[in-house]
Amino acid sequence: MSERDEFDMLRSRPAPKPRNEAREKALEAALRSYDEKFSPTAQGTVEEVRLTDRARKLWRGLMNRKLVATPAVAGLLVLPLAGYAAWQVMGGDMFGLRMASQTQDMSAPPIEPAVKHEASRGLSLDGEAASPQAPADRLREMAQPAPAPTGMAAPRLQRGPLGGQSKMVAPSLAPAPSLDMALPREESRDRFASFDTNPVRAALENPVSTFSIDVDTASYAFARRSLKEGFLPQADTVRVEEFINYFPYDWQGPASAEEPFKANVTVLPSPWNTGTKLLHIGIKGYDVPATTRPAANLVFLIDTSGSMNAPDKLPLLKSAFRMLVNGMADGDTVSIVTYAGSAGTVLEPTRASDKQKIFDALDRLEAGGSTAGAAGIAEAYRLAEKSFVAGGVNRVMLATDGDFNVGQTSDDALKRMVEEKRGKGVFLSIFGFGRGNYNDRMMQVLAQNGNGTAAYIDTLAEAEKTLVQEATATLFPIAKDLKIQVEFNPEKVAEYRLIGYETRALNREDFNNDRVDAGEIGSGHTVTAIYEITPKGSPAQQIDDLRYGNARVNNPGGIADAEEYAFVKIRYKQPDADTSKLITTPVTAANEIGAFDDASNDVRFSVAVAGFGQKLRKTDQLAGFGYDRITEIATTARDADPYGYRAEFLSLVRLASALDGGR
Amino acid sequence: MAAEIDRQEARAGDGELAARAGAGDRAAFATLVERHYDFIYRVAYRVLGRRADAEDLAQDVCVRLGRAIAGYRGGAAFTTWLYALVLNAGRDALRRNARGDRNASAFATHAQVMSQESDDDDPAERMWDAVRTLPDKQREAMTLVYGEGLGHAATADIMGVTENTVAWHVHEARKRLKALLRPAGDE
Repeated sequence: MSERDEFDMLRSRPAPKPRNEAREKALEAALRSYDEKFSPTAQGTVEEVRLTDRARKLWRGLMNRKLVATPAVAGLLVLPLAGYAAWQVMGGDMFGLRMASQTQDMSAPPIEPAVKHEASRGLSLDGEAASPQAPADRLREMAQPAPAPTGMAAPRLQRGPLGGQSKMVAPSLAPAPSLDMALPREESRDRFASFDTNPVRAALENPVSTFSIDVDTASYAFARRSLKEGFLPQADTVRVEEFINYFPYDWQGPASAEEPFKANVTVLPSPWNTGTKLLHIGIKGYDVPATTRPAANLVFLIDTSGSMNAPDKLPLLKSAFRMLVNGMADGDTVSIVTYAGSAGTVLEPTRASDKQKIFDALDRLEAGGSTAGAAGIAEAYRLAEKSFVAGGVNRVMLATDGDFNVGQTSDDALKRMVEEKRGKGVFLSIFGFGRGNYNDRMMQVLAQNGNGTAAYIDTLAEAEKTLVQEATATLFPIAKDLKIQVEFNPEKVAEYRLIGYETRALNREDFNNDRVDAGEIGSGHTVTAIYEITPKGSPAQQIDDLRYGNARVNNPGGIADAEEYAFVKIRYKQPDADTSKLITTPVTAANEIGAFDDASNDVRFSVAVAGFGQKLRKTDQLAGFGYDRITEIATTARDADPYGYRAEFLSLVRLASALDGGR
Repeated sequence: MAAEIDRQEARAGDGELAARAGAGDRAAFATLVERHYDFIYRVAYRVLGRRADAEDLAQDVCVRLGRAIAGYRGGAAFTTWLYALVLNAGRDALRRNARGDRNASAFATHAQVMSQESDDDDPAERMWDAVRTLPDKQREAMTLVYGEGLGHAATADIMGVTENTVAWHVHEARKRLKALLRPAGDE
């Protein structure tokens, strides 16, 4: 026992009391997850609690006070509060960095008086999921100082101590934030699934890397918006592959439709690490000539809930779809379904030649009511099946600013429905609008399961890019379930790391399993994937060799094809086929480029974009690689840039650099 | 309504409440969480050593509890089961923190605030900090035996190992702690 005494002081240290606010919130969270589990249809998606972003939680804490208030009352109540919260947050959370947010611990006391509700009452669900009628006790609570509204749009906290604004302030109307000023980050209810950056893998232990292609671009547009408003995007919102694939690249395409796409592989030195190389795979889909395009049957499923009533939402959406309709052929059909409160058909299937009728229907749309997403989707699918074009393009195009919070709303139930319809030949594409309530996770799940793309539209220019310039790519799939598997040769490659595609990882065995769904590629689409590889014997190797490594190959000449870096296998299905085909490409010294600067402009630009995405994700490997280098590479690789995307990229890098302290 | 439920549920034992919660009784679940929040928080504090982190972890545990309660089989005491849940979540949180720490250079402010918050002068707190650097099993054994004052038998139940293994973990932990704390000038 004597030995024990010296550690006895461990026992003497009592834990400090938890704050009441934290306790309340924990109990609420418990009930929320309980409800999710036991009645999954009753709630919206669970809000993942991230441990480190306390500044966001402070605001959510204020917003969460379970009120259903009218906007006017809400506006009155939130003003002083917002100022207070801004003042609190200013101290530490200058740029919305996820971790620099410990400071608002002292914010607890002022909130406490208003949060004295019993946990067992358990009424508090997150904002929109709260029951529609406000019980009397909630109204009483409202009279106290702390409560703030949870309307359909999270109130925005724009800037400075008095900068709280109440509701639905369109970002475009907000004063342009100046970069030299510390800006408090508003609490936003945008939901993003978090994921870990792909780790470095030893080629000996895990020689095979498998993933599904991804032509989504939502993450880039979302980050752009964030940067333009003066915040570094949260690391979890950055999906590097979506950054890379946002830009069109001029990879060499296939010669005929027989071969739907072509993979161009390049090995080049990595600009951010000496001693490592990049394995760059650029895939280009066959460009279907306009004359042979199949007929399209599109159903616009448009969210007209109250929250869509903002300049960057419904009006932008109307303009966007108007542009899309303008580009359609006369034989195509369009239908429009809305969902707000109850789902309704606004336009029965109509020929695109009757443009005026379609435009009139679009113009009549008005925002109001809550969002009945599930019913809307069901109705949209019904119409799509009604005017189904065999051999053509049958697609539901969902436009929304948030998620589906009335009716059947578990991610799983919707996912199953989308999968089932995909089996019948109706695909789903998703266009996200607005900010503050954006449910990225749900959008991703649905689009990935519906063989569609998820794009985020924040400006008319973005709408033009997505719906007009890339309409053919978005609308005319030339191959589906495109999976990539790369086998690395441990004789040449010690380690590898796939850049991005974390959310698209597949199991090794999934590659040959035709029942496993994967991404699709459209007419003329380009998809790019980049690995960082460490050649064997390079000093940049991070993982030690195994002393008793099982991979010592006995034959002195080494394994077969020892000179290859890797072997790239791509599986795909024709749009209407159920069995996959295989394309393989060995990667040898013939694919290698000696100096980074000798690579083509497009390769270098895509690497700069990959570098930028990884910087924003705070990827360890890029710690010593500054924004200035990204700017340098991207500037020299700008090329023609007819639509100015690359110029815009450069301005985003400058913004991020300023926001990130010039690193 | 809250008070009513409280009266009703106050007498029910943990096992009974947990079983009812597992079957879908929301009120039973609410009572159960309410009753054990302080316990969860306390263990969380032992694991992480900072109030704000412990509150976050406790919330995380509450969320996990909502999902996991249906899986509670009543074989062991509810608190035993709950200990394991908190320790698991704690392990994840520490791992997550370690990941975050790699970006630490970017967050100088964060570090500053941290150092202000932790009570460096208290030798017990310093020793707890040392405990937190131990490997998972040793740390958990120390947390339960010293932090929670549990016997080796109870600790063994929670950790799902034998008593001998617990004794060994504690022994190893003490050995390591002594080595860790010596340079600090304690001996």
